[in-house]
Amino acid sequence: MTPTAERAPGQGYPAPWLIPAVAVLATFYAVPVLDVTRLAFSDATLIQPASGFSTVALRSILTDPALPQVLGTTLVFVAVNVAVLQLAGLAIALLIVRGERRELPGMAAFRTLVLAAWVVPGIANGLIWGMLFDEAPYGTLNSLLAYAGLGPVAWLSDPQMALVSAVIANVWQGTAFSMIVFYAARRGIDPVLYEVAELDAAGPWRTFRSITLPLMRRAIAVNSVLVSVQTLNTFDSILALTGGGPGRATEVLSLFTFNTVFYNLDLAGGSVLAVLLFAIGMGLTILIGWLGRDRT
Amino acid sequence: MSARWGDVATYAVLAVLAVFFAVPFAWLVSLAVRTPAEIYLGAARFIPETPTLDNFRTILSDPAFLIYLWNGLKLSALGGALAVVLAIPAAYACARVPFRGRQVVLVGLLAVQMISPLVILVPLYRWMNALDLLNRDVSVIAVYGALGMPLAVWLLKVAFDAIPIELEEAASIDGASRPVILMRIVLPLARSGIASAFILAMVMNWSQFLIPFILLERDGDWPISVAIFNFAGSVSASTTQLLAAACLVAVMPAVLVFILLQRMIVSALIGGAVKG
Amino acid sequence: MKTCILAATLVAAPALASAQELVTRSRVGLPDAPNTLTFRLTSYDLYSSDPATREAFEGLFSAFIRARPGWKIETQLQTGNIGQEQARLLQQTQAGRGPDCAMIDSSQLALFKDTGVLQPMNAVFSDEDVADLFPYVREAVTDDAGNVLAWWWFTDLRVLYRDTSIVPEAPQTWHEVKAAALAAVEQGREGILFNGGRWEGTSFDWLANFWAQGGELTDESGAPVFAEGDNREKFLNAVAYYQNLVESGAAPRRITSITDYDAFNAAAAAGSAAMFVGGNWQYGQLRNTLPEDTFAIWEVSELPGPTPDQRATGTGGWTIAALSDDPEKAALCGEIAKEIYAGPGNAAQGLLPTSQPIYDRYDAYDGPEYDLFVEALENGVARPGAAIYPEISNQIQILLGDVLSGSAEPEAALDAAASAVQSAYERQ
Repeated sequence: MTPTAERAPGQGYPAPWLIPAVAVLATFYAVPVLDVTRLAFSDATLIQPASGFSTVALRSILTDPALPQVLGTTLVFVAVNVAVLQLAGLAIALLIVRGERRELPGMAAFRTLVLAAWVVPGIANGLIWGMLFDEAPYGTLNSLLAYAGLGPVAWLSDPQMALVSAVIANVWQGTAFSMIVFYAARRGIDPVLYEVAELDAAGPWRTFRSITLPLMRRAIAVNSVLVSVQTLNTFDSILALTGGGPGRATEVLSLFTFNTVFYNLDLAGGSVLAVLLFAIGMGLTILIGWLGRDRT
Repeated sequence: MSARWGDVATYAVLAVLAVFFAVPFAWLVSLAVRTPAEIYLGAARFIPETPTLDNFRTILSDPAFLIYLWNGLKLSALGGALAVVLAIPAAYACARVPFRGRQVVLVGLLAVQMISPLVILVPLYRWMNALDLLNRDVSVIAVYGALGMPLAVWLLKVAFDAIPIELEEAASIDGASRPVILMRIVLPLARSGIASAFILAMVMNWSQFLIPFILLERDGDWPISVAIFNFAGSVSASTTQLLAAACLVAVMPAVLVFILLQRMIVSALIGGAVKG
Repeated sequence: MKTCILAATLVAAPALASAQELVTRSRVGLPDAPNTLTFRLTSYDLYSSDPATREAFEGLFSAFIRARPGWKIETQLQTGNIGQEQARLLQQTQAGRGPDCAMIDSSQLALFKDTGVLQPMNAVFSDEDVADLFPYVREAVTDDAGNVLAWWWFTDLRVLYRDTSIVPEAPQTWHEVKAAALAAVEQGREGILFNGGRWEGTSFDWLANFWAQGGELTDESGAPVFAEGDNREKFLNAVAYYQNLVESGAAPRRITSITDYDAFNAAAAAGSAAMFVGGNWQYGQLRNTLPEDTFAIWEVSELPGPTPDQRATGTGGWTIAALSDDPEKAALCGEIAKEIYAGPGNAAQGLLPTSQPIYDRYDAYDGPEYDLFVEALENGVARPGAAIYPEISNQIQILLGDVLSGSAEPEAALDAAASAVQSAYERQ
């Protein structure tokens, strides 16, 4: 974190190189974010332009009794997803690496299967899982469970279970990303370290604790940021899966924002929520960036 | 001996996970080849008694569906390419031009990645409207380029870092300027990294729903990720089997492209890992 | 990747070539016609995925445009996501970029009327045409000065479907519904299904129970009043009716996950449910998808009320309205509504016309079910023409989801809904 120290003389004119990136950042992010902030302090609807400065929308959204519930749902949704996605991604990546080292067949096929779920568009993801979770007597998962003498499970009609189901659908699609990142990071570790560990007769758990985990620390930190972003911003699969219901059980902040702008046509209120979404995202980035900072 | 047990354990865990990842696809196929009557048998008959391709025929005989697929491919490929082109100079600067605030730029890019398209879309819609760019592919491609750029910068920086600096120093002593070095030496050597950044951006774009949904108003311009929404519930009869077939058709091209090219992505990522 | 594109092109080519006539995916008429009308429509008719419907409308549109060689119609499709599509349409129109002519959902018509973007189509519709409309339709499409601002070309309503092998007699009251459903559960069926998930259908279908008691969502000025005075009790009665169905087991708990009408068709086909609250249009769908003997056991009846005399049903449907201030285009838009949709378009799809003469004109309406539908329309209630309606509906969806899944008590949920609606209303 001390770039000054490594600054070599006679170098360092980054400006021309950075122009395209900075221009894009300014045009597509900075100015729109300012614009949204301005709208948050207005009385604009999708139908009527703003007539002036106003904090009515701000106060009304922030005191909306639904907001704590939505934020709670979002917190649970993001936290559980990030934990499960990282664990699943890490487990799969390590197992595949192990399988490849032992030259076990089928590793590439498995990896491909996980990646295939990743490219499914979010709406399609919601539709597919909607068919699987169908609770009608002929519904897919419940009729499978019935064979095993289990169920039926109220996948989407029970408020708590609906959130679990939304997490399952998201994990199905999202694991691939973490898997790639961890797979790459694990393959980037010098094999010599593992050979030394083997010579020391270190067990798999110790090897994992003292080599794999410390060396993948940064990958885990970076991945946490990216995965929390993706999860926080996810709403298309939930939109297609439950629409946010039953009640508000699966209405996360991004879906709430989407509904406020495009269902209630409340541009000012939606902008307040968008700013909130933005602030939470930034907070997460800074927090995780700080936790995962390089201590070398 | 213990390694053998490890293999068994590896397979056991992966088998459980494989079931989780495969069931939705397998079920989708099963539903897509059913007649309406067999839809209601649920799990009782995984392989239908009279498998039919009629559902696919119905979907594929709709010319619009192929246009949607083509639009999806076109928009995500061009958007991904734009993201990479925009990212190359910045990634190079971060990898090779030491300057104060490099870390700030990189973290800033990461922070930008945090911004939901939902946040910036309403203003963008208003601008695109003012610039008369609504309903044009270029508006979606531009937004895709902007959305994909930050991650591309990170991936490319990693790829550029992995190139031995000695090659560039040698060229520099021969009098080559930085842009020339970038074009002649760095980019060719980093091509697999570039390809992986491109494919990653493209995959993200392929699943985008919100941006094309808001910026493109004519159905002839929609990518499949938006149009698939239409197939759910718009049809005049009970249509689980048609929806399943549509989902499969929508998903297959991306899966195929990805299967063919994934080696490149994964190997490019390994090259630099995510060392930062 | 290349192979994919190639394959796609190869498959697409012949299909595109054959469609290169009067009706294409984005145009009706010849490409070089001097005048253009842009028309935004839904995907249920001209571009329906049902071949018979599509062919019928292609024929109607072709005839229409052949009679007007100077014109072509550029078509724009909207998705099934009504709320967002209509918001977008409104915004575009205000920005001067909307289509010349558009289909507007009847639930959104009031909003469009309020914002003053609709252009009169008086030249096309005579006073008799207007007088023939059902009263709630007439009121919705005209303004105080008598201008025709839209043409509501079909309506719909909700009815009770029942499997007569399980429920021979049509239940007339809420009480009878519960008794019949519980009896069906004894026989291993799901007693009654209705929409309970997070979508418009849930609140709209349920509102019939509120309206049957004479409840009102908004007052004359458009302010929400559903939680005040008598309305409060009526509202809670109607909630208790549904809550009681679920808690007694007469309706399965899964209804809080139902977010489309297809689920009912599926249940009918699977023979798993004894009754459901569905739309009139499902009658035709069932006839087309069920085997004949299965279809024969399904009957429709008017939605039950708290007493046999207190009945209501929500009525919806689509309108066509002119957004262009060019009188020629507005007139053409009206002619599309009149000549293609209202009448032959109704008959081709079996949709309910909005005026009695059309029922008499077409054989398609000879079936006994239409007598029932027309009769039930007497008790039809349209969504209130208030801009706050979408938020009221949103809150009712949340309330029903919470109450029926057991996570909220009706009284508290109603208070929460009322205060949320009030807060949104104050900011409008």
